[in-house]
Amino acid sequence: MRIVIDILLLVGIFFTAVGVLGVNRMPDVFGRLQASTCIATLGTISVSLAGILYAVSEGMGASAVIKLILILVLVLATNPISNHALCKAAYKMGIKPAKELVIDDYKEDDPE
Amino acid sequence: MQKPSKFAVWLSTFLFCFLFWLLLTWSVALREVLWGVVISALVAAFSGRFLIHHEAFYLYNPVRLIMLAVYYVGIFLVEVIKANLSMAKLVLSSKMDYKAGIIRVPGSPEIKSEYGLSLVANSITLTPGTITMDVAEDEKGDNYYYVHWIDVTETDREKAGEVIKGRMERWIGRIWK
Repeated sequence: MRIVIDILLLVGIFFTAVGVLGVNRMPDVFGRLQASTCIATLGTISVSLAGILYAVSEGMGASAVIKLILILVLVLATNPISNHALCKAAYKMGIKPAKELVIDDYKEDDPE
Repeated sequence: MQKPSKFAVWLSTFLFCFLFWLLLTWSVALREVLWGVVISALVAAFSGRFLIHHEAFYLYNPVRLIMLAVYYVGIFLVEVIKANLSMAKLVLSSKMDYKAGIIRVPGSPEIKSEYGLSLVANSITLTPGTITMDVAEDEKGDNYYYVHWIDVTETDREKAGEVIKGRMERWIGRIWK
């Protein structure tokens, strides 16, 4: 059990590190937003899974497990909304991508 | 679609908040429960109209909730892991070579409700590499997602939609029409 928890923690730390590195290396706002999703998804998922397994194996009772699940659900529910709003706002403000976009349907159609 | 009554909206939001409160405090002491009722009622009165727009009690269906859990554990997790691995490969490669683009992908004609649309949009945003920028409806009533895609491998819109959200959308279509 201990080994599984350690592996999950390592996976979480690895993907969080990838996300942080991506935020630093990406050339523009959109790329940074994309890379930061790594932190919120697999980083959070595996770290909270490790927490859940630890709480179960130490016999901490249902309330600790449920709080961990709620943390996971809240992060997964709120992250896409802020990401979507940031991405749209950055585009509407007219921030230029670092490289020319391959395809840009949004500009052509321009809803509302 | 008919609008639900004000009371149904309030009650649905109230139940949601109260269940959340019970799970969070995890105690049935009288004081906790009473505070929960008061606060949930206040929150529901203020924010119900933002949460529920039609079919107030759509969420409280055990079959639907179980399907939702299966979707998140079985389908969504696999997609997220795949996308995370490709994102890790991109970030750790020495020269980051990618072709970003914003592409309009058609939504499935089955999914019409706001619950379904927002679930698909959130699932797309949560997979690293794709962010939904907007959901738009054309005059014929078809829905389109505008997706910022970091590595455009497919510029044909139908096929791109299949790559971005194919499996996830089919599953959501089974849960929420």
